[in-house]
Amino acid sequence: MQMNKEQFLKQLEAFLKRLSLEERQDILQDYKEYYAMGIEKGKSEQEISASLGHPKQIAKELLASYHLDMVEQTTSSGNILRAVWAVIGLGFFNILIVLGPFCALAGVVISGWLASVAFILSPLGVLINLFLGQFRMSDMFFSLGLCGIGIFIAMGMLVATKSLTKGFIRYLKFNITFVKGGVKHE
Amino acid sequence: MLVLLDKQDRYGYELVQKISDQIEISEGSVYPLLRRLTKEEYFTTYLQESSEGPPRKYYKLTDKGREYLHELLTEWNEFSNGVNQLIEEGVCK
Repeated sequence: MQMNKEQFLKQLEAFLKRLSLEERQDILQDYKEYYAMGIEKGKSEQEISASLGHPKQIAKELLASYHLDMVEQTTSSGNILRAVWAVIGLGFFNILIVLGPFCALAGVVISGWLASVAFILSPLGVLINLFLGQFRMSDMFFSLGLCGIGIFIAMGMLVATKSLTKGFIRYLKFNITFVKGGVKHE
Repeated sequence: MLVLLDKQDRYGYELVQKISDQIEISEGSVYPLLRRLTKEEYFTTYLQESSEGPPRKYYKLTDKGREYLHELLTEWNEFSNGVNQLIEEGVCK
């Protein structure tokens, strides 16, 4: 069962609810034009719908692009996750080349932050020892040193997190500007 | 896609047909790519009346797009030269 033009456009529109009205209209206009050209060339609406593929897949690609633009406007962890998720959703190949690097980078960032937080809080441990009556002066100096190092790590992590995020977004954008598909065998 | 627009401006339908002749991709996926490349300012679009039917949306390569195209072509050539060399060495052994 192939869709006709109206069904196709209606479905696509429904999947694109998140986009602004203007952008959605613009997208639908492109596909309307495509139908008009195809019909001129003597194809039926059903044939054209079949060659276009499923509206859901098309919407996924458009939404991935939209989410990446959102991240550029406001870099929040929610926006980043949504963008990564949208790009991963595009296909199996993307799971490999997006999810892998993403997990690795997220691991580095999270462990870096954990280390700095643990270092900064280490004097607290000495205070606890004080209450327990096991206080040693050398521990105090050592933990204050760690605290200082922790602050440095945190500053470094701030810069690193920012640039890693930026780089990764660039990578995602680069990723979706490529046609993915096999070469046709004649 | 950039290569197709290097020498002349084309309209959407034409681009989609050219690409889907060569590459296994559903034709509907070409438009999202066109939009993306337009957003990245590699293309600009303009409408032009055609002799028959509704006005067509034409895509035109920008200077930025042309620069990017040449970058990609250089990279591609280096890569394919490298691979060819490896194949030759492998086969001639």
